Amino acid sequence: MSVRTRYVATRVALTVPTLLAMSLFVFLLIRLVPGDPVRTMLGFRATPENVRTIRHELGLDRPLVSQYFSWLGGIFRGDLGQDYISHESLTQLLRERIPVTLELTIASMALALLVGVPLGVIASSGRRLGKATASIFTIAGISIPDFWLGTILILVFAAKLGWLPPTGYVPLSEDPLQNLRYMTLPVLTLATGEAAYILRTTRASMQETLERPFVTFLRAKGLRRHAIVYKHALRTASLPIVTVAGIQFGVLLGGAIVVETLFGLPGVGKLVVTAINQRNYTVVQGSVLVIAALFIVVNLVTDLFYGLLNPRLGEERA
Amino acid sequence: MTAATVALRHVRPRTITARLGGRQAAAGIGILTLLVLVALLAPVLAPHSPDAIDADHILAGPSWSHPFGFDALGRDVLSRVLFAYRASLGVSIGAVALALVLGLPIGVIAGYFGGVVDNLLMRPIDLLLALPALLLAISLISITGPGELVALFAIATIYLPILARVVRSSVLAVSRELYVEGARARGVSHARTIWSHVVPNALGPAVVQASVLAGFALQIEAALSFLGLGAQPPTPSLGLMLADGYQVLQQAPWADIFPGLAIAVTVVAFNLVGDGLRAKLDPRGISG
Amino acid sequence: MTVLRLDHVSVLYGRVSAVSDVSLAVDEGEIFALVGESGCGKTTLAMAVMGLLPRSAAVAGTIEFLGRDLTALGEDERAALRGDRISMVFQDPASALDPAFSVGEQIAETIRAHKPVGLREAKTRAIRLLEEVGIPDASRRYRDPPHRFSGGMQQRVVIATALANEPALLIADEPTAALDVTIQAQILGLMRELRRRHRTTSLLIAHDFGVVAQLCDRAGVLYAGQLVEVAPVAALFSESRHPYTAALLGALPSAEHARGALPAAPGQVPDLVSPPPGCRFQPRCPLRRAECDLVPPLAPVGDHLTACWATPETQALGRELAEARA
Repeated sequence: MSVRTRYVATRVALTVPTLLAMSLFVFLLIRLVPGDPVRTMLGFRATPENVRTIRHELGLDRPLVSQYFSWLGGIFRGDLGQDYISHESLTQLLRERIPVTLELTIASMALALLVGVPLGVIASSGRRLGKATASIFTIAGISIPDFWLGTILILVFAAKLGWLPPTGYVPLSEDPLQNLRYMTLPVLTLATGEAAYILRTTRASMQETLERPFVTFLRAKGLRRHAIVYKHALRTASLPIVTVAGIQFGVLLGGAIVVETLFGLPGVGKLVVTAINQRNYTVVQGSVLVIAALFIVVNLVTDLFYGLLNPRLGEERA
Repeated sequence: MTAATVALRHVRPRTITARLGGRQAAAGIGILTLLVLVALLAPVLAPHSPDAIDADHILAGPSWSHPFGFDALGRDVLSRVLFAYRASLGVSIGAVALALVLGLPIGVIAGYFGGVVDNLLMRPIDLLLALPALLLAISLISITGPGELVALFAIATIYLPILARVVRSSVLAVSRELYVEGARARGVSHARTIWSHVVPNALGPAVVQASVLAGFALQIEAALSFLGLGAQPPTPSLGLMLADGYQVLQQAPWADIFPGLAIAVTVVAFNLVGDGLRAKLDPRGISG
Repeated sequence: MTVLRLDHVSVLYGRVSAVSDVSLAVDEGEIFALVGESGCGKTTLAMAVMGLLPRSAAVAGTIEFLGRDLTALGEDERAALRGDRISMVFQDPASALDPAFSVGEQIAETIRAHKPVGLREAKTRAIRLLEEVGIPDASRRYRDPPHRFSGGMQQRVVIATALANEPALLIADEPTAALDVTIQAQILGLMRELRRRHRTTSLLIAHDFGVVAQLCDRAGVLYAGQLVEVAPVAALFSESRHPYTAALLGALPSAEHARGALPAAPGQVPDLVSPPPGCRFQPRCPLRRAECDLVPPLAPVGDHLTACWATPETQALGRELAEARA
C-alpha cells in the first residue's frame, strides 16, 4: 500500500470514531438539560399523565444506554426521529433544509476563495498602494460582524435601492435566476468576512514562501516573475490556505446560522435556532448532529485535498 | 540560546511605541484603553438613562442632545450603546480570561509531560474543536437556556481548546530549549521548572491569541444575543440592540448602525493589539 | 578570451561595505576559485554577477560578461542570461529545489525557459542530463520529487539544471559544503569530469582549500570584501605572498601541527559598517606599516597578484606614498 493510499485510508477511518464521539456528545448534551425536558416542552399542559405518556413515547423512560443505541440505530436506518411539536419526520425536515445551508456555505466559501486568493497574491508581491488597500480590507472584513454587514447590505440594496429582496428563498432547482436574487445578499454577507481571512492567510503564506531559498534558485534559472509567483510559489503557499479554508468552513457554518435567521432562509441553521427557542429537543439533537457531521466531512475532504497537494506526505507531518 | 540572542535581548527599545511592540500595537492598546475606560465609565458618560422613554421622539434621528438618535421605544441610542457596550465587552473579556485561566494549566501539563498525559488531555479538547464555534455555543445554551452568564461560559468553552492548544505548542517549543534541560539537570523540580522557566516564556503566544480571540468573542456574544440566546432583556447587549435595530431598519437605521460600529471598532482594536504584539511575544508564530 | 571581468566592483548593503573595489578576470575554460572565510563577501560577489542581490544593495563598478556590461542591463535582459549563459549552483541542494515539482520537470523547465523547445524534447534532454550527472535509472527518476533523493543526488540534479543550457559561465557557491566528505569527493569527481567534457568556465566559491586544490586553476583570496591575492593554485599554496593568505594557509591543520595550538592571526574580522581605512587586514597584520592606511593596489609579484605594501616590489612605492602624505 503506497504512502498516499495509507494516508487516505487512515483519514477516512479516523472519521468514524470522530462521528461516533460526536453523536455521543450531542446525545448527552440534550439529556443534560436540568429539570425535565418533557415538562418544559409541555408547558402548562404538563399533567403527570401527559408527562408519563410523552416520556414513554419519546423513550425517555428507558435506560440511557438503550436510548442511545436505539437513536443510533435509527440514524443508520435514516430515521433521525420526529419533530416533537409538528410530528414531522426529522429526516424529511433536514433533507429539505440541508441543501439551503449547503448552497449558502459552499457559495460563500467559493466566492471568498475566488476573491481572497488572487488579492492575497497581489498583496504579497505588488505595489505599496495595493498592499495598503489589502490591509485595510483585511482588518475591516475580519472585524465587522457578519450579520451587521448583512443588515447594512439589506439597508442599502433592499430598502434604499430596492435591487434585491431582503428575505425569502427559492430553491435552485426550481428557478435558478430567482434563487440567485435571493441568495446574493446572504452569500455576499458571509463571503466578505471570509474573503478577508483568506486574503490575509494567502498574503502571509505567499510572503513566507517567496523568501525561501528555492525561489532564489528559480530566479537563478532565469524564470520570469510570473512563472515564479504563479506556478511555483502559489503551489507551495497553497497548503496553509487549504488548511485554513477547511477550518474556516466551520466558522461559515456558524455564520450561516445567523445569516439564515437574518435573511429568512429555510436552512438547518434557522431550524436549530427556532428549535432551541421552542425547546424542541429532538430537532436540536438531530440538526446539531447533522451540522457537526457536515463539518467533519468537510474536514476530511480538506485533509484529502491537502494530501493531494503535498508531495511530502508521510515523510513530513506539517 | 546563542551568544547573539543573549546580546540581542539586552538591546532595549527606547521609545514607548517600540516598547509596546510597534506602531500597530501601540495604536491598538491606545484605542483599547480608551474603549475600556468608556465601558467602565458608562454610567458617568451616558447623557441620559438608557431606559428612559421619550414617547415624543420614537425613532427620531440624531440631534445634538442625542447624537445617536432614538430607538423604537424612544430611548437614547447613545446611552444604550454605552451600557450595552459595557455588558458585551465584559462578557467577551471575561469569557476569554476564563478560557485562558482554565486552558493554561491544561496546555502546560499536556505540553510539558507529553506522552499519555498529553493524549488524555488533548483528545477531549480536540473533540470540542471538531464542532463549529457558534454551533457549540448554541448547543451548550440549548441545555441551560439563554442568558448573559450562560453566554460567557459558552464562549469560554469555545475558546478554551484553542488557547490550550496554543499554550501546549509553545510549551512544547520551550521545553526543547536548552535552558529547560539545564534546569532539570541541576535538579530543579518539575513544578519549579514549569513555574520559573516554562510558563513565562510560553505565555507570549497565548496572550497574542487571547487578544485576537477577545475581539471574536465580542462578535459571538453579539451573534448569540442577536439570536435571542444571549443576554435577555432588560439586560443590555449590543446584539440585542442590533436585533431591535433590524426591526426598524428602514425608518431608523442609526439604531442598527451605531451598535454595529461599536463592535467593529473594538474588534479592530483587539486585532491591532494582537497582531502588533505578535512580533514581540510570539516570534515563532505559534498563535497562527 | 575573458569570459568575466570585474572592474572596481563594490557592493553596499545599506551601511555595510560587503565588497570593496574588487577587480579580476576569468578566462575561458578555467576554473577560478574565490576563497576566504565566512562573511568575506564571496557569495555577495557571486550574487552581484548573477544580479540576484536584494533591491537594497548598491553595486558600483562594471561587471563585464563576454564583453557586455551586466550592470547596465535591465532586469529582463539579466533574467534572459540567467540559467542560459550564466548559471549558479548553490550550497544547499535541498533548499534550492522546489519540493512541489519533480526533479525532471525542474530541469526541463529551465530548458524551456530559454530555448524554443517542446515539452517532449525538453524531457528527453532532461533525462539525458540526469544520466550525465550520474543519476541511475534516469527516465524513471525523472518524475520523482526532490525529497526522494539523497543530498549528493540532489546536488547532481542542481548541477544538471545549471548545465542544461550549456552556459558560458558557471558559478558554484560552495557546492559541496552541505555534503558528507565521501559524497563531496564524488561531486568533485563529477565536476572534474564535466569540466573535462564541456570546458565550462567556472567561478568556484569555497572556504575549503582541499576543494580548491583538487579542482581549480587559479584562486583569488578575499578578506573583508577586499581582494588581497590572486595566483595559480599551486603557486598560492607553495608560496603565498600576502600575509593574510599565509595566515589562512598556516592555520590549516596538518601533520606539522602535531603538537601545540594552531597558529591563528590575532584579532577578528573587522566591522564592515566602519572598516579600517586602506587595507582591511592591517589591524591584524604582522607586517603592518604606516602606508597601510592607503589601499594597496593588486600588483604583480612573480606570477601572483598581491595587494600588500610589504612585498619587495611594492615597498618602495608604498614608502613614497606615505612620505608624500606626511
